[in-house]
Amino acid sequence: MKKKLVSILLATAMVVTLAGCGGSDAPAAEAPAAEEPATTEAPAAEEPAAEEPAAEEPAAEAPAADGELAYSGNISIMHFSTSEESEGNGGSDGFRTCLAEWIGNHANITVDEEVLANDDYKTQIATRAAADDLPDVFLLQGMNTINWAKQGLLYDLTDSIKSSPYAANYNMDYLVPFTADGKYYAYPALTGGTCTVVIYDEAMWKEAGFDSFPTTWADVEKAAEYFGGQGIDTIAFGNGGQWQLNSCFVSCLGYQYTGTQWFADIIAGTGTFDTPEFVAALTETQRLFHDTSIFNKDFNAITNEDAREYYISGDAAAFIGGNWDASYIQASLEGDPKYDTTKFAVLPQAADATKYENFQNIGLGYGMAISAKAAQDPDKLAACIDLCQYLTGTAFSEFVGANYALAGFCSSDVDLSKFDQYTQDFYNFSYVDNKGCEIYDSYVDGSVWSVLNTEMQEMVNGDKDPATVVADTEAAYKAYLGQ
Amino acid sequence: MLKSIKPKKWVVAAYLAVPVALYVFTVFAPLVAALFYSFFEWKGGPVKTFNGLANYTQLIHDEVFWSAFWHNIFLVLVCIVGQIGIAFIVVLLINSKVTKLQGIHRTFGFFPSTISAVCIGFIWQMIYDSKRGLLNYFLEKIGREDLQKVWLNEPGLVMLLVSIPLIWQFIGYYMVILLSAVSSISTEVLESAEIDGATGIQRARYIVLPLIKNTLLVCITLCVAGNMKAFDNIYVMTAGGPGYSSMVMAMYGYKVSFEQSNLGYGSCISVGIFVLALAVIGGSQLLMNYLMTDSYDRNEKKHLKQIEKERKQAIKNRKANA
Repeated sequence: MKKKLVSILLATAMVVTLAGCGGSDAPAAEAPAAEEPATTEAPAAEEPAAEEPAAEEPAAEAPAADGELAYSGNISIMHFSTSEESEGNGGSDGFRTCLAEWIGNHANITVDEEVLANDDYKTQIATRAAADDLPDVFLLQGMNTINWAKQGLLYDLTDSIKSSPYAANYNMDYLVPFTADGKYYAYPALTGGTCTVVIYDEAMWKEAGFDSFPTTWADVEKAAEYFGGQGIDTIAFGNGGQWQLNSCFVSCLGYQYTGTQWFADIIAGTGTFDTPEFVAALTETQRLFHDTSIFNKDFNAITNEDAREYYISGDAAAFIGGNWDASYIQASLEGDPKYDTTKFAVLPQAADATKYENFQNIGLGYGMAISAKAAQDPDKLAACIDLCQYLTGTAFSEFVGANYALAGFCSSDVDLSKFDQYTQDFYNFSYVDNKGCEIYDSYVDGSVWSVLNTEMQEMVNGDKDPATVVADTEAAYKAYLGQ
Repeated sequence: MLKSIKPKKWVVAAYLAVPVALYVFTVFAPLVAALFYSFFEWKGGPVKTFNGLANYTQLIHDEVFWSAFWHNIFLVLVCIVGQIGIAFIVVLLINSKVTKLQGIHRTFGFFPSTISAVCIGFIWQMIYDSKRGLLNYFLEKIGREDLQKVWLNEPGLVMLLVSIPLIWQFIGYYMVILLSAVSSISTEVLESAEIDGATGIQRARYIVLPLIKNTLLVCITLCVAGNMKAFDNIYVMTAGGPGYSSMVMAMYGYKVSFEQSNLGYGSCISVGIFVLALAVIGGSQLLMNYLMTDSYDRNEKKHLKQIEKERKQAIKNRKANA
């Protein structure tokens, strides 16, 4: 009898435990490694860390008061602006702040947030897309637009973007990565930032005999002799993740050789990678990394996060990375004398490249998209559109402009006098002083970039010739185009 | 078993139902699903186009996949020698009479296998780091700066370098398994061999190894299965690079599925991994069985087979004559 009683108790405990393991109906509970559980509460808006001046409230002109939306229920949203990410990162901070604002203004709507780190987000959203289980609102990566639109996963936002209350302030150039067959599938989100910036210590370069960062690679090579003698790397770079060489280097150097039309044709599906100009760009890349001593020897074994530490610690006189690295370096160097001597420059010009000069690659890599399934309920769709417009509208732009001197999809006036020299310099570098060009991997398809990125890693080691890399990339491109 | 305590069949079935259902749901169903999807062109999303055996044709001609397969085989071989071989030596040392504090050796030996593979990857990445890593620091201290390298950027060495953390991690795991097998060998057998003048190596070769043959087979099967699906620590350390130099099959499947959004072909790679892993495990077991059976046993078996054949022939002949 006693044994039976114990058995029943144990069995009950097991059943209760198993039941406890089951998820709730909220989508966030299904997601592995979600940073935050689904919440019905507005996440607390956080002050930007170590940023001056103090964060200001988003513009009071919220587009939609509670009464304007007929929808009452749940909206699921998936993004990668984690609380850690938002510390010092204006785009993430603005996103979280505006999302909290919108949730606060819409008491009848429950927003189920699923927040993941960026790398996890990319895998998770691809899995959800494959399962035709996308959240109602999510961040779409430019390179997925054409494929996902073709699959019928995305709601066509063309009309809503054109009729948006902020349409007059939109920078329509940012829509290009989210366009398929002439239709727009996302509101460009977060902040427009450069993907290729040379961050250098002016004082160190003065010691090497250069008042500012050289404009040609020949001069950088001369400087490398000086820095090499000091036991310092001239430029720190990290390509351990394989994408960095594409996004933060070749995407710019390529334009020096090919000009703008070449990549426009690639985007349109009418171009070819297999051109002498692109081969020349890769040949120069190989020469710079393999045949000169400009870069740290371990560039293929470390990530950009490691490489920027070389710059911060003074082990390198310069660093090449993106706007996210500039934000990190700013936060890390504050209070250090190096903070005042840190400056920005465009990628030096290759000697035999004359097609495009004095530029940087800039864009918005992600856009707020709405899943086609969410559009089945007109009221819900209206709420989702309102959310996307708010998160990419003037409230967001004014917040990031006022607090971080950054710009988003909407243009806004930035009073630079409120910011320190570092922030002013970076704003001018990003939005004022230089022409722009496209970021390669915001377009086309991951299947093409995966081949290029992987093979370039061998190429800069000297183990593969540029013509082979181009031929393999071209094959992947043709496969993507279905040829 | 006594009838009174033997559970009824339905009780056994009921207890087994939950784990079997879980197993089917988590292992069998995904495998069948992967097999199904491997016949489609599926770029992610609801649209799937049946393309017959096109993915398999592509797989057969995919050089990257086959180079990844050979990397896995390399891992298997290195880890069988490194993990099980070293574990066997450690077991003999721990079991030796002269070894003190055996419990501590066992605990610390097992400790690395409790750490997650991702952490192991990070730890060894720090060891191999070219600027601040322990390996290059050690070389500098012994005056061999000429040997310093960017270790994880050496295509010819990188597979060996990513194998070392795997070996380090699992020595303790196999040590525990082998230790339990060796402990079951009667000490009298070993002592009598010692009295007969057998050396330590001879005792290990002719007494211990044959007696733990079945356990060794289990270890090898686990080692092969584990290394055919290696992923985590290599992903952390090199992400398969430089280029494809440390690409293994599971990582290639992941890359194709998620970086290239080619889930149909990714599923086909998963099926390929399953089939190849089964073949390698089966092959390794046959090989082990062959190697662990000594020539005397093999001749004996052959002789018995011959006798049986002759006996059957004699019966046949007798029946024919009758």
